[in-house]
Amino acid sequence: MAETGPARTAGKAAGTYRRVVITGLGAVSPVGIGADVFAAAIRAGESGTGPIESFDASAFPRRNAGEVLDFDPADHLKRLDPARWGRSGLLAAAAARLAIVDAGIDEGQLEAAGAGAIMGTTSGESAVVQELAEQWIQGGLESIDGGLAGQTPAARIANAVSSELLLSGDTQTIPTACSASNYALGYAFDLVRSGEAEVMLAGGADAVNRLTHAGFYALGAMAEDVPRPFAADRSGIVTGEGGAVLVLESYEHAQRRGARMYAEVLGYAANCDASHMVHPDAASIASGIRAAHEAAGVDPEQIDYICAHGTGTPTNDATEVAAAREVFGDRIPPISSIKSMLGHTMGAASGFGAIACCKALEQDFLPPTAHVTEPDPELGEGVDCVPGVGREARLNIVQNHGFAFGGNNVITILGRVS
Amino acid sequence: MTATTATTATAEERKVTVVEPLYVASAGVVSAAGLGLDALAERLLGGGEAHDEPVGEDAAAYPPRPVRAVRGLDVKEHLGRKGTKYLDRLTSFGLISCKAVLEGIEVDGARTGVVLATNTGSVSTHSTLLYDTLTLEKPYLVNPGRFPNTVMNSTTGQIAIRNGLRGLNATVAGGQTASLLAFRHARLALSLGRADRLLVGGVEELSAPAAWAWHRTGVLREGAALGEGAAVFTVQPGRPAGGELAELLACESRFTPDPRDYADGLAVAVSRALERSGVERGEIDVVSLGAVHQRGLEAVERRGVRVALGGAPAATLRIADALGETYSASGSMQLAGLLALWKAQPPVKPVTALITSVGWDGNAAALVVRSPR
Repeated sequence: MAETGPARTAGKAAGTYRRVVITGLGAVSPVGIGADVFAAAIRAGESGTGPIESFDASAFPRRNAGEVLDFDPADHLKRLDPARWGRSGLLAAAAARLAIVDAGIDEGQLEAAGAGAIMGTTSGESAVVQELAEQWIQGGLESIDGGLAGQTPAARIANAVSSELLLSGDTQTIPTACSASNYALGYAFDLVRSGEAEVMLAGGADAVNRLTHAGFYALGAMAEDVPRPFAADRSGIVTGEGGAVLVLESYEHAQRRGARMYAEVLGYAANCDASHMVHPDAASIASGIRAAHEAAGVDPEQIDYICAHGTGTPTNDATEVAAAREVFGDRIPPISSIKSMLGHTMGAASGFGAIACCKALEQDFLPPTAHVTEPDPELGEGVDCVPGVGREARLNIVQNHGFAFGGNNVITILGRVS
Repeated sequence: MTATTATTATAEERKVTVVEPLYVASAGVVSAAGLGLDALAERLLGGGEAHDEPVGEDAAAYPPRPVRAVRGLDVKEHLGRKGTKYLDRLTSFGLISCKAVLEGIEVDGARTGVVLATNTGSVSTHSTLLYDTLTLEKPYLVNPGRFPNTVMNSTTGQIAIRNGLRGLNATVAGGQTASLLAFRHARLALSLGRADRLLVGGVEELSAPAAWAWHRTGVLREGAALGEGAAVFTVQPGRPAGGELAELLACESRFTPDPRDYADGLAVAVSRALERSGVERGEIDVVSLGAVHQRGLEAVERRGVRVALGGAPAATLRIADALGETYSASGSMQLAGLLALWKAQPPVKPVTALITSVGWDGNAAALVVRSPR
């Protein structure tokens, strides 16, 4: 997946694409709301998972999730009526509002820049669908609420962002499950670098819900207590939720308005295992990592940190490390999983990963894998999962992983702005 | 086009760059009219019999409204027995249409990807499982074999698995406009060299819960039928050796937060699509419309088209009259309808068509298409 395709690609010579930078971050997460609060919690290795409050989980053997317990849409939103939108859309719109404040860009500037919103998700408006299912059981299908039914399209996640911020540009929801935020980031990057827009918002959102919780348990992929990615005693995931949004901007546009630049999006690659719906494929992931490096114009030895997909299931972490070993050989960069703290926030996961990467570049630290006392020796030599709490480190180029059911792998490469 | 560098070209200058055409090499269609473009053309030209009754295990539970279902589809006949145990309707439509679309095409798996429009994935699968989690004494005993099919990219992933397509694998949600957003997504990916060829389209399935959701929202006109099916197209930058089914020119989208401006939003998308296609508004011979059965949106779409074209279009195609409301797949069905008619009755001189779509939150999109030359 070379960055510059064959000569037929619209007659564009290499080097005519814009540079794209990240200038704003918005996090509505289980470890706090706001990018700085989020970054401090991540660095400290805080835990955002606990007993489920959003639905009655008493009949489940495992009852923890990473919920955003202190989320009140009214605290953040100027335009959306919370009664007319689902939780996932509200999480996305709140994160977007935070992101543009963080970027110091206003609605007029966004409009002039042709801005739009590309949002990833796994389960769309799952909390809405869950409520409809409850109505169905209580009163039959004919009793379901029409207004609520109108809130179910997954499209409404990106639509919520554009409605809240009065955006008229590309507005698209990309439901590629657990790599969705990275996909959204990649597509938004392509829109900006090719000149379709000067500014784009990208990220993802999901809500904790009964079906996702039940499904991961049924697959045998759920942790007994907390997620311990890369640990010898890891037992799986804890479901999570949140909204993660980043502001992507052409370098010139950001420079003209004197914006702070967290990072440059150096490139990305998306591929598909095309082998199994739920089992990741190391060779395919390795091929995706190589393609991302090629796209970004970097060599493996230039990568200072990998923000892992790191679900904490025995299979994922072993496969991910094997894929990294295939590309990096004996020098695997520090590789950690923020899912240890947030839980698995599904479609928002790689968006939170990208935010963590930006903050790590800005504040000179390696995000940790919390809850790990003994890294798994089975993963082999040289795996530094930054156990426990964050570590000071000067980073230049970092790599963010997102893998999904369906074999969707998306790897984004972010670098310090030179 | 001149090779101006990004730093010297303004956004506006780049915006009016006329796009290179993309080519549709093949089409795979599963609809209430049957399989393929020929069956669709026959239906559009007044042949074949339209049924209005639902099919499937939950047929008795549907609301009282007409349904244009895909009937008599023998999944095992098309796909074999292997791997069909947990196949939902959505994925079977997707797989069967992709099998047809790849017929006789040499595929480079590493450089071929999929961009598929969806609304919310398989409503039948996730509503069944959700019902189980709310009614089973042990709610965690949902079927682990079916759970992966609840994610919205399940169909896209299974298309990749069955056909060995390892390139980008995108699923796009955009409500009514989802299919056109998928074409826009695909155009950008191809123009940046992210793939050599993409399967692009939309797929939608019917079920009693989905039908009730439509029925209860009250957005469809009285007597308007619900529809389902899949339309998928092979899209590539080079002209196919065997000739093309159509040329795809610019695809533009716009979001309009204020409902009072929806029609103007569509007009902007249409005007920009025409401009970037190098097509004058007077050159549009036919408009394939999207929201023809939706209260309020129908007038919005008509008005937006009229504003952009400077008057009513010379001719329109209303695919939903034949196939029912196919929502996220509608843009793909709107294209399939044009291709079917061009194949059945090749135009004497090349036809330039416009496909439009508007949705309830303010999504609008437009795609310019040319008949084969």
